[in-house]
Amino acid sequence: MSDFASSVTKTYPEAADAALTLTDVSATAKTLIRADITAAAAQDLGVAFGASRVVDGTLVAATRPTEWVVLGPEPQVAAYVAAVSDAGHVSKVDFTHGRALFRITGADAAKVLEKVCSIDWADNMMPDGAVVSASLAKVTCDIIRNDVGDARSYFIMSDRSSGQYLFDAILDAGDEFNMGVAP
Amino acid sequence: MIRLPQQSSEVIDRGAPLRFTWNDKPVTGFAGDTIASAIAASGTRIFARSMKYHRPRGLLTADFWDPNGFVQVGDDPNVRAGHRLLENGMDVSAQNVWPSLDYDIKAANGVVGRFLTAGFYYKTFMKPASLWPTYEKVLAQFAPGGKVDLSSPPRYHDKRYAHPDVVVAGGGPAGMAAALGAALEGARVMLVEHNHHLGGHLLWGTDEDRAAAATLAEQCEAAENIEVLLNSTVTGRYEDNWCAIAQRSHDKAVERLIKARAKTLVVAPGLIERPYVFAGNDKPGVMLAGAARRLINMYSVKPGERAVVLTANAEGDQAVDALERAGVDVVAVVDARTGGNVIAAHGGAKSVEEVELGDGRKIEADLLITAVGWTAPTSLLNLAGDRPEYDPVAARFFSSKVPDNILVAGGLAGDGSLDELLIHGTATGELAARRASHVAATLQSLTPRAESIAAPAGDMPADNRNPLARDNHPELHRSTTHGIVDYSEDVGSKDLFAAAKEGYDSVELIKRFTTATMGPAQGKLETVNTVAVLAEARGETISEVGTTVWRPPYAPVTLGALGGRIFEPVRVSSIQPWHEAQRAKPILAGQWIRPEHYGNPAAEVRNVRENVGLIDVSPLGKLDLRGPDVPKLLEQLYTNKWQKLPVGGVRYGVMCAEDGIVMDDGVTAHLGDDHYLMTTTSSGAARVWEWAENWLQTEHPDWKVHVTPVTTAFTSINVAGPKSRQLVSRLTDVDLTPDSFGYMQVRQGTVAGVDDCIMWRIGFTGELSYEIHVPSGHGLHVWEQLLAEGDDLGVKPFGLEAQRIMRLEKGHFIVGQDTDGLTKMPTVGLNGLIKLDKDDFAGKAELSYALADDSGLPKLVAIQTADPSIVPEEASQIVRAGTNEILGRITSSRMSPTLKRSICLGQVASEAAAPGTTLTVVMTTGERITAKVMEHHAHFDPEGERLRV
Repeated sequence: MSDFASSVTKTYPEAADAALTLTDVSATAKTLIRADITAAAAQDLGVAFGASRVVDGTLVAATRPTEWVVLGPEPQVAAYVAAVSDAGHVSKVDFTHGRALFRITGADAAKVLEKVCSIDWADNMMPDGAVVSASLAKVTCDIIRNDVGDARSYFIMSDRSSGQYLFDAILDAGDEFNMGVAP
Repeated sequence: MIRLPQQSSEVIDRGAPLRFTWNDKPVTGFAGDTIASAIAASGTRIFARSMKYHRPRGLLTADFWDPNGFVQVGDDPNVRAGHRLLENGMDVSAQNVWPSLDYDIKAANGVVGRFLTAGFYYKTFMKPASLWPTYEKVLAQFAPGGKVDLSSPPRYHDKRYAHPDVVVAGGGPAGMAAALGAALEGARVMLVEHNHHLGGHLLWGTDEDRAAAATLAEQCEAAENIEVLLNSTVTGRYEDNWCAIAQRSHDKAVERLIKARAKTLVVAPGLIERPYVFAGNDKPGVMLAGAARRLINMYSVKPGERAVVLTANAEGDQAVDALERAGVDVVAVVDARTGGNVIAAHGGAKSVEEVELGDGRKIEADLLITAVGWTAPTSLLNLAGDRPEYDPVAARFFSSKVPDNILVAGGLAGDGSLDELLIHGTATGELAARRASHVAATLQSLTPRAESIAAPAGDMPADNRNPLARDNHPELHRSTTHGIVDYSEDVGSKDLFAAAKEGYDSVELIKRFTTATMGPAQGKLETVNTVAVLAEARGETISEVGTTVWRPPYAPVTLGALGGRIFEPVRVSSIQPWHEAQRAKPILAGQWIRPEHYGNPAAEVRNVRENVGLIDVSPLGKLDLRGPDVPKLLEQLYTNKWQKLPVGGVRYGVMCAEDGIVMDDGVTAHLGDDHYLMTTTSSGAARVWEWAENWLQTEHPDWKVHVTPVTTAFTSINVAGPKSRQLVSRLTDVDLTPDSFGYMQVRQGTVAGVDDCIMWRIGFTGELSYEIHVPSGHGLHVWEQLLAEGDDLGVKPFGLEAQRIMRLEKGHFIVGQDTDGLTKMPTVGLNGLIKLDKDDFAGKAELSYALADDSGLPKLVAIQTADPSIVPEEASQIVRAGTNEILGRITSSRMSPTLKRSICLGQVASEAAAPGTTLTVVMTTGERITAKVMEHHAHFDPEGERLRV
């Protein structure tokens, strides 16, 4: 099998040490699970719409009232998803190739997002773990706050075909905050 | 005017000289100067010519609102010289003057000024209508404003969203106190100041004023939860305190529009000094007290030599002190509070020379300072529904009623000492913070993702502030003579009287008829005087006349700021880097960038017909359908039947809207138990998804179906041509023999080492084809492997244009190209796919009527021109021979490289749709050609033998 090729095909100077970074993590395994909120699967997933949790090496995010995305390394995601109950009407769709996934990390991360999205990123409205769907630079995205230690951090997931455009739009927004591209 | 010796109050840096040109003459100013202060310091008194009469004008307010301070700076027109800070190398010039500012030939307008009364243009240039183009050309020569250089490169504008707890509009003492009060309560505050420094009127006040301003400003700048935005304006307030803020002080962007959703808004813009109406009030040398104090105290500019001061308030009194300190000879102080008045300013074109007072005295002076009262800029309150009321005792308007999420502070709220203003401001900020907390709690409780709230929000905190007092102020609007009311529009009090006499007795009507208050100052200087003059003309009070309704923007905003950063998303497939490397000609199809061709679309067609070609069809809409009720959904969406589609089968279908109009088409494959993959047109993917969800969520919520868009989860490659089987078989583990994998079937397997590929035998080109859907992360790999493995077979890529030619050769219609918003399914000739014996499907009722009698519907037919070398343009009309009666139109047309002749599809009236019918086609040149209706849609291989091999 060939290596996974991301939608971000341009190359950028790497700035791993920058205080504010944008990282392309599109190769992360992603599975979409759809189920009624009364289904056993919803109980297994354990998070309600707008929230996320880290479990068994994966990040489980409730992106819609009856929709969850499971992110993480492929083996862990596969194992976790397999363990989610199939009772009732449940769909599990591999989204790895259909979605671009970026991570923006740093104290000014919310300031960057303010330039491309109208959501209120304040801690009380979008605390660590919160999940929201919104338009970023006119691209529909799911955004998950997933702080790294003390550092503010967000996953941004969009349709793959818009990935390169969105990556550049975020980089442009982050220019005034000296955002760099981290590997 | 000259530069004064250094003063402790000045904001200029004499250690940083800046060189620029004013009307091509070199001038030197200092960092901190505005363009206007630097020009004034060079001795200039005339800055502009008035709009209509081209009367010479000097500084009036020496700030943002100065109607006489508009200049051209390089390629930037209409720059506010009283506000824009000076920069080294600026090329500054007067606008709309010829041949020069000092000698402007258009000043001849002043001679005929008495004929150019209000409504002159409406009355004069309306008839005859045929002459308007001529009038327009002439009048355009007199249009005010600077010159736009269309060759100027676009500049970077920015946009930002913000959700502060409190927005404070105005960084004067009350605004700063409010910001600090709110911040101390824990609120996140955005403090927006129109000017370049915090401090408001304190900046040109006494030493004590400036010291207080500096202290407050330091506290605001130091507060972690106050974001100070200087040189920024809250230009509008909309529903739910959505505030538009134009930020002109950004490091990297020329301007930035901030869309701030404030939980509470504190409106504290201060007061704006208004002019006095009297004869000669627009002569250079007549200026407001605030202007004189700004010039002297902030920029160290001496505004004149001999001054008369008309004062009705402390601002005027302090102007006298400032003038004397600057060495100006104050020859008369006329106190309006004790009945003093100014009748007229006399003089030549360049300056005031004599001031005529109410008591009959005439005093020689080159400077006349007026301090006659204030305009309360209530715009932001108006936008929240407030209708300000006039208080004759204070001689200005005050707010009447505002929503709970707006609070008023400073001069808009009343008068008082600095301490009183600060106390009120602080209390306002504290209340704003408490109310913001209330709003925040409500928002949090309504937002699932937000932190949970321990207790409900309760009632909105009450307003227990001690109100500010209102000082007595004489009502001074117009003297006993007529003068200019609107400096920007050259509208005088005489015009307003005339308009009122003509029946324009409403302030809203007179505004539009005379254009008073409609200039760049947007009424900040003119509204109150306009209302006062109208009241005088009608014999009514100002309260009875009322005021106009201020609308956004509070101050003019550039179109660039409104546009902000331009987001234009584009979509590309995983193969796009390869297309670009091959220099494929791109075409934008919706948001998708696709290769139109790789240099020679005709050659691409020939290669597919003779060998094998690859096309990237990734934009094809794809929906993953799962659940036991998928067949029910398919039956509902498509007009044909789906219950018996076996696993491994693929079927074509057409979707119609409820009115029978063709909405989309595509194929759907049965991949496995309860699992299907539907394809849609590239542009219809989102619409079909919504359509499917609409049926599931509103009509059949009981159906167990999950519809998931997976368009970009797969890179879709169509391998087409007689050698396609040979090529694909080299890379897949799927058995491609015709008996195992027939036409309209689907298989899943490995291609070029990539698992989980979906492959179906369909095609739009009419050739043996395999459409391979590859997990997108490996799409480019499979594409490159196909090209590498098929080199000996002559494999080549082909683009959208070649595909369109081949589908036209085959007579396949394209939704949206060969159909339109009125095309019902019988038109496209697929009546066999309309299954009226189904229980239900979208459009069934309408289509049952249409099938019963389709004689009134146009028909899509293949058309061949009599001259095979002529390709009529798409949308060419088809008419009844010898007439202009329209019978239809060409919907698609190309030259066929395969058949070496013109090929067309067209919609024609039913009566002209029979095979063999001769048609008349009107070319875009007007030439009429003949064409013939063909027997089949397909021009090429009508039996479909090539694709079924």
